[in-house]
Amino acid sequence: MIDFLSHYIYYIGAFGLIFIGIFIILVKHNLIKVIIGISLLDTGVNLFLISVGYISDGTAPIFSSPDMKAENMVDPVPQALVLTAIVIGVAVLALALSLAIKLYKHYGTLNLRKIKEMKW
Amino acid sequence: MKILISIILLCVIALGTGLVLEMIPFGEPKTKIGEYYIDNGVEKTGAVNIVTAVVLDYRGFDTLGEITVLFIAAVGLGSVLFSSKKSDKDKKQEPASLILSTGCRFLFPLILLLGAYIFVHGHLSPGGGFQGGAIIASAFVLVYLGCPGIRVNKTGTKIVESLGGLIFITMGLLGLLFGGYFLLNFLPKGIAHTLLSAGIIPIIYVAIGFKVGSELAGIIDNLIGRP
Amino acid sequence: MVNPVLLIAVPLGLAFALPLFGFISKRIEKYIPVVGMSFNLVISLLLIPKAMENPIIVSIGGGKPPFYINLVAGPVGILFSLIIAVVGLLVSIYSLSYIKKGATEKYHMLYLFLLVGATGVVLTGDIFNLFVFWEILCISSYALVAYTGEKSGVESAMKYLIQGAIGSSLLLIGIGMLYGLFGTLNMADIAQNIDSVSSISIFVPLVFIITGLGVEAAVFPLNAWLPDAHSAAPSSISAILSGLAIEVGVYAIARVVFTIFGAESFFLFLCFLGLLTLLIGEMSAFSQNNLKRMLAYSSIGQIGLIVFALGIATSYGVAGGLFQIISHSLSKALLFLSVGYIIYRTSSMDISSFEGIGKKMPVTSLAFTIGAFSLIGFPPFVGFPSKFLIVQAALAKGEILFVVFIAFILIGTVIEAAYFFRVVQAIYFKKEKNNSEKKEAPIAAIIPMFILALLIIGIGVYPKLVTDILDSAASEFLKRADFIRGILG
Repeated sequence: MIDFLSHYIYYIGAFGLIFIGIFIILVKHNLIKVIIGISLLDTGVNLFLISVGYISDGTAPIFSSPDMKAENMVDPVPQALVLTAIVIGVAVLALALSLAIKLYKHYGTLNLRKIKEMKW
Repeated sequence: MKILISIILLCVIALGTGLVLEMIPFGEPKTKIGEYYIDNGVEKTGAVNIVTAVVLDYRGFDTLGEITVLFIAAVGLGSVLFSSKKSDKDKKQEPASLILSTGCRFLFPLILLLGAYIFVHGHLSPGGGFQGGAIIASAFVLVYLGCPGIRVNKTGTKIVESLGGLIFITMGLLGLLFGGYFLLNFLPKGIAHTLLSAGIIPIIYVAIGFKVGSELAGIIDNLIGRP
Repeated sequence: MVNPVLLIAVPLGLAFALPLFGFISKRIEKYIPVVGMSFNLVISLLLIPKAMENPIIVSIGGGKPPFYINLVAGPVGILFSLIIAVVGLLVSIYSLSYIKKGATEKYHMLYLFLLVGATGVVLTGDIFNLFVFWEILCISSYALVAYTGEKSGVESAMKYLIQGAIGSSLLLIGIGMLYGLFGTLNMADIAQNIDSVSSISIFVPLVFIITGLGVEAAVFPLNAWLPDAHSAAPSSISAILSGLAIEVGVYAIARVVFTIFGAESFFLFLCFLGLLTLLIGEMSAFSQNNLKRMLAYSSIGQIGLIVFALGIATSYGVAGGLFQIISHSLSKALLFLSVGYIIYRTSSMDISSFEGIGKKMPVTSLAFTIGAFSLIGFPPFVGFPSKFLIVQAALAKGEILFVVFIAFILIGTVIEAAYFFRVVQAIYFKKEKNNSEKKEAPIAAIIPMFILALLIIGIGVYPKLVTDILDSAASEFLKRADFIRGILG
């Protein structure tokens, strides 16, 4: 059991963050908590992408000294994908915070149950 | 009720992902394009940092999309928080403590230097344009916290952001002109491990570094509000 | 032969350079999207003959796929980029006079970025590149929905952002799983190796990706954001969102299901989903009094019809679905553009305030009527051949189930006719409440409405103009092996 856990700990951690993030977005009413949930969801997805590319006993894919071998390097592609995904997550977060500021100016509250002017 | 439905939904999703993750063992080499990039990256692109080679040479189009997304966030934030009337009350900002106000004056150029070092050496050591740009933006945040009343020049940030994006697209179109492919690495590769190597990669990273730094500083400036 | 990369690179460069143009003179900023989209229109028209024989494969960075990103400008890609260029150009001419208040420079930049994102989604051949351009499309639309700054706009944008962020993260999880299973990110490469893993481990990434794409494409359980967002946005942006953004979402779903996964058992599920979306959309539209909200629910209904047609998965079916995309883009854009100025003159979105507008704004009301009749499917307009093709495709399938489906589609059409006739009757045949003077929309708004009406009538009367490219596009989706061989050699 401990063996299984230690082997898959990265996947369990990443999906744990993802599920906590989705749970917060679906259930909580305070807008800032929902935005924190979006941030947790993005972090979990990035952690999952990085852990797909890990190779056991590997090191960073940089040939910093001329005698580094190519065999024990981790996969460089997920690192490039996560670089892009982090920046996209920051962009969404910035836009969400600016919309929250504007909503507070209009409604005076950040409770999603009270911000329901648009009806059926 | 809502909580119960959410938990059941998440359990079903967890079961499905568990089944797939059996097929993706942790720590095994699984990819073919990763090995190709590690084996041929240094001679083909001249960059010693393989992640930089992937980000700017093999998958340069994704990086173009990424700087576009950051630009859209900065512009969108400016458009949402736009208001044509001046700010109403005079907000009194608490004066900063002694350590902060002395430290920010002398740390500011050092942090800028660290950020510039990171993005200029993007192809030789871990780092790159985005990382260096974020450090530069944090220098501006320090100034906002420590020396109240100093704001960044809005016209200057607009010019730097536009020029940064234009330099990237121009490099791509020059590659199309000289070599027939967009974003072709057409400058000479140089000797590996030196500063002036890897073709167009250092030029693009310098442009990205300045652009990201001024964009993030502009976002923080918009969020603080009008003086 | 021109390079299809210019379809993405040149408008992107113009959008980056827009603030620099603004330093020269503030008045030329609003003409830059017009220039960009005219360029795209010319390049797309030039590329049509070459793209119909063989898809043009362009590599970015000068190497062979799958190690480099490649663009696939085949009949489907060029058809969609042509629709994006035409509708984008006409709405940008409309915005010359419609957008006056607020940060107009930022509006034009965001507008151009939205169209670049949409063009990038339809032209790319690499799945992570699809995600990046998808995010460009989505984030620009979040910012544009909130452009007016009023209560309803900001609230709808926030709800749209929250649901869109969940969708994008699910899409990224699906892409990560595909990379872990196959080791490559190129669409043709994944399609080639799709049979080498068991079917349960294909099913889960497929569900994640379809759910992630479905939030923007507005299929049934995931479209709660659409009525609020499309009715609270400025009318030019509603035209772009209803006419282009959700169709590009349906393209992405079709590309994933047909080309990457080739999932035959999934097609019947797509038919059910499409039909459910159609019925719910039309029935909800019937009970609305707010005109833009009614048009937004009608968009949901039409997306259901398009997804149903794509799910039939025969050559007639896919061609019918693509034809319905053309018809819906043109008609819905015309409807939203005409409604924009009617709402501006009467300052209210209720149907009861439109009574008697027919005499005061004759050209705009005629445009609204043409758009409405085309959406319902009356003969001289483009809605008729497209719906007829879909019904023909469903009949040719030959099963009793599909005859039942056709009955539901006809019921949906009848409900559509009912609620559009109610508005047309109010516009022309009721007396107006207050006597204000006759004032038509400005010339910059009349030109795009006129050109859209001309296209609707022209393609409706002479559908041969588009049937060639539709047939090539349908065979690109259905003949998977040719597509893979064309890219990987």
